Amino acid sequence: MHTGRILLFVVAAIVAILVGLGIGYRTLGRPGSAPKTAALLLRPPKSLPAFSLVDDRGVPFTRASLGGHWSLLYFGYTHCTDICPATLADLNQMAGELADLPTAERPQVYFISLDPKRDTPALLVRYVRHFNPAFTGVTGTVADLRALTAPLGVAFSYDPPDQSGNYTVDHSSVVFLINPANREAAIYTPPMISGRMAADYRAIIKYYGER
Amino acid sequence: MLRKLPPLLFAAFFFMPITVNAEGPVTGVSHVWIREAPPGVQQLAGYFTLENFSNRPLAVVGITSPDFNSVMMYRKLQHSNRGELEPVTTLGIPPHKSIVLVPGGAHLILIKPRKRFFDGDLVTLTLRFSDHSSLTIMAPVRRDNPRH
Repeated sequence: MHTGRILLFVVAAIVAILVGLGIGYRTLGRPGSAPKTAALLLRPPKSLPAFSLVDDRGVPFTRASLGGHWSLLYFGYTHCTDICPATLADLNQMAGELADLPTAERPQVYFISLDPKRDTPALLVRYVRHFNPAFTGVTGTVADLRALTAPLGVAFSYDPPDQSGNYTVDHSSVVFLINPANREAAIYTPPMISGRMAADYRAIIKYYGER
Repeated sequence: MLRKLPPLLFAAFFFMPITVNAEGPVTGVSHVWIREAPPGVQQLAGYFTLENFSNRPLAVVGITSPDFNSVMMYRKLQHSNRGELEPVTTLGIPPHKSIVLVPGGAHLILIKPRKRFFDGDLVTLTLRFSDHSSLTIMAPVRRDNPRH
């Protein structure tokens, strides 16, 4: 009888451990395996092309500018009324949720304007700082922008201007996560939910940090 | 007139349906807000959820604001993966259904503000309906997106 109780206890303990491992596996994934994220994880990370743009302080912004830190790139324009400010506000909220990370692990956010005709560096400074003082605006000629957007798969086109000369820019609305080795590591697609984006970010940098 | 919303009242305002009509509860508006524009931007986006409580189809046929030069209604082009928008002159609401204006979807564009609006300010909007009724609401200005 005593032996039977011990056996029952051992079996129950084994079952509990197996159930725990199963839940952990489903929730976190196998240690070292790719995390389950809403963001599209690129494996292996994809090399970025060479490009030559300028940031909102007038400093050249190239592939090398993205080296040594994690970066989030979003393409839009300041006359965009809806999705661009919505995404930048989401990125600001995401940055707030990652504020506990060591500085070196926090992402730097770059808003790359597809509308160089209107979005001068001086205008971009005021625009991006409205969302977060640490965000950086970037732009360049249309040809230089396409050197970066085409390989990333960012499509954009200019609609005909209205009577006032205003025009809209149709553009893809995704956020690219670039790793410290200048490689495209993940793509966030709408809907942008800051809490989920931050959780994905933590999982992705942890995953690559372990490799 | 109250032009600035106390923070504690903000949430109540955001979630409080506002129903006004001579024949009783026909429409209800909730989740009303306008995005604060960055410096230099002359167009603000506006959002709300509008419910039709009646047994008849209803449509918003125009929106005006004394705080802006004009207000336009936009919706996303169907079958577009790049978020192209088209202006529309009406927004239809089937009986007992609602329309939801949210970032990335249908929304208002409020053009040329009379002054700069900041987080917590209130903007007056008057919605005109296909049944010749109208509804005036106060929309709070927000800097951040509503939390998901």
